Amino acid sequence: MNAVETIELTKTFGEVRALDRVSFAVKEGELFGLLGPNGAGKTTLIRILTTLIPPTSGEARVMGINVVERQAGVREKIGVVAQALTTDLDLTAFENMDIYGRFYSIPKKERRERISYLLGMVGLKERSKDLVATYSGGMRRRLEVARALVHRPAFLILDEPTIGLDPQSRLVVWDMLRKLRQDYNLTILLTTLYMEEAEALCERVAIIDYGKIVALDTVEGLKNGIPEKDTVEIRFKEGVNKEDIVREVGALPFVCLAAWEDEGLRIYTDKGPASIPILLERFKKIGAEVTEVFLKELTLEDVFIRHTGRPIREEEAKKVSFFIGAGIPRRFGR
Amino acid sequence: MIRFLAVVERDLRKFLRNPMVVLVSILMPILYLIILGNSFQGELKNLPLAVVRMDSGPYAEKIMERLRSIEAGPRTVALYYAADQGFAMEGLKKGLFKGVLIIPPDFSRDILHKKTAEAGIFLDNSEPIASNSVRNAVSAAFSGIGSEFAAVREERARPLLRDIEVYKKIDYDQTLIPGVVIMAIFLGAMTTGVFNTVMDKFLGTEESYLMTPITKTDIVMGLLASGLFITTILAFLVLFISSLILGIYLWQVLTWQTVFAIFLVIVLSTLCLQGLLFVMLSRADHPRIVGVFGGFLNVILFFPSGAIYPVESFPWWLKAFSTVNPETYSVHAMRAIFSKGEGLGAVKGDLAFLAVFAFIMVAAATLAYKRRL
Ligand SMILES: Nc1ncnc2c1ncn2[C@@H]1O[C@H](COP(=O)(O)OP(=O)(O)OP(=O)(O)O)[C@@H](O)[C@H]1O
Ligand SMILES: [Mg+2]
Repeated sequence: MNAVETIELTKTFGEVRALDRVSFAVKEGELFGLLGPNGAGKTTLIRILTTLIPPTSGEARVMGINVVERQAGVREKIGVVAQALTTDLDLTAFENMDIYGRFYSIPKKERRERISYLLGMVGLKERSKDLVATYSGGMRRRLEVARALVHRPAFLILDEPTIGLDPQSRLVVWDMLRKLRQDYNLTILLTTLYMEEAEALCERVAIIDYGKIVALDTVEGLKNGIPEKDTVEIRFKEGVNKEDIVREVGALPFVCLAAWEDEGLRIYTDKGPASIPILLERFKKIGAEVTEVFLKELTLEDVFIRHTGRPIREEEAKKVSFFIGAGIPRRFGR
Repeated sequence: MIRFLAVVERDLRKFLRNPMVVLVSILMPILYLIILGNSFQGELKNLPLAVVRMDSGPYAEKIMERLRSIEAGPRTVALYYAADQGFAMEGLKKGLFKGVLIIPPDFSRDILHKKTAEAGIFLDNSEPIASNSVRNAVSAAFSGIGSEFAAVREERARPLLRDIEVYKKIDYDQTLIPGVVIMAIFLGAMTTGVFNTVMDKFLGTEESYLMTPITKTDIVMGLLASGLFITTILAFLVLFISSLILGIYLWQVLTWQTVFAIFLVIVLSTLCLQGLLFVMLSRADHPRIVGVFGGFLNVILFFPSGAIYPVESFPWWLKAFSTVNPETYSVHAMRAIFSKGEGLGAVKGDLAFLAVFAFIMVAAATLAYKRRL
């Protein structure tokens, strides 16, 4: 069974086509990433999958259950961390979790145990009796994740779980998600606008732009799917024989192309960093003295640019969506 | 049930975390009391006055003529002719009349014989403004009678108007108490219930519980229940404190029966208003809308409720509105219970209206609420 399955899923808000015939599937047990810039339609997709808004057309199933026809069934099965911070500021962490647990009708004893375990897991046990209003953004985000797990869902959905977090807290969340998956065989679907996040965390990634899925594969698969390669740039001491060097390097099997540019030699390779020692050895043999080596690995960014024709502008993205990402003027949507 | 109670608990906890809200909710209605108590002295119209005329003599006729011309001219009173005193007094107690004028059988004869003629007027002093106006109108009708017809001016031959107030003496300020309590109920209803759904929507917290299995009924009923709980306590506190300010010691005045009756009125009124606000505002997406609309509704419901001016002096259209305004019934019932010391029996009709209105509104609130982002 697939955890998610959509067929031609479309959502329009007036003139805006937030989702455009999206068909994809998330396998059970998988850690799946939806990567896309601001306004790509990530939150819209998540909201449809979590029964918060109805699709305009098309079909979606979550854990095999139709999200329009059997909303209650879907809600029982999933744990969701929304993009906006949605815990109650004027309640304590414990109260937030306890009330949430009761929304799922979990009996008291089980609820208590579960909450104390989860708060321990996200490192908030000591602060569990403090008002959430006194929490930092990172603590609050961890609480949101803990809360989404209170009813032991088999499928966890997170909408930009690391937005607004510093790099260190981001690592903490990543570790947490990895561990959850290992320990409970949880299926995870997350959205992100950070390339590194998709790359570091997800097994398969769908790139979404203007409401369309433009590419979907494993991270490796996505990279292999485009003609660009990792590049190594090497600079030499003055007076080396450029032609000799190019000939020598071009003969190596992992080098796709080698060319001189103003600063030095640029080599396109499909062996990545592993090619560097081999290259250096070669140059030593022919007596060309190397001064500097640069490696530019192929990233999802390149994949993204290849598919959408532009980079994701991260800096802007961070600022904007933390405040308004999930608070799109609803009036138009109703 | 577990979900419903979770909604209630969440709401109550959040309320208690903001003690300022509690304080303001109590203080504001009491301030109203003080301001209102000092700001209304207008002319009233169409105050129902029952006349029990047992004398067919010329002086009685003269007085009736004058009353009729007051009824036709400045329209301070509206006359009702009652055949017997018992019936008229019953009407006064029920609030049908603001006053009862009794002209005894030998009224004209006494004047002719230059004896002291005595007519009686009974006033509903639980509404002092109204009863004062009635008293003045009647006094005007009586003025000069006896001197005109009597050949010799004789002080003692002047008809005396003996005015008897039906209830134990109450001050004008005190009769505002039902109005202040209904005001507290309105404020309570406006700052709980629907306000909290709109706030959750506004803050985005709504999103997180709409994706849980919680049902629409859980949400609406839970919010109404916690709002009801909070408002009932607030209303009793306001009742207690404002009485205390006016020198009434409730524990001396009220019996368990009347407390129970007041409790019923408060609960039903709260449900009416909460339900009404929910129906109108559950789809608002900004708390300010609730504020603006609520403030407007407060005025619209409060002034035509009879809390300050008696309903009888309104023009017909406002009168019509006040018959469907739940606050009219709350004020009427509370005034009957609190000022007049009547038991449940006297307010059956009010309670029935409030119960039906509350039921319809609460049911409609559940229908109006949209469980969607
Ligand atoms: N309720 C709504 N009313 C009108 N337009 C909407 C609504 N919700 C989303 N949109 C529009 O749909 C498009 C997709 O928005 P969505 O929130 O899904 O993007 P996103 O990928 O989550 O972006 P971000 O990274 O900024 O959160 C945007 O153009 C947005 O303006
Ligand atoms: Mg989003």
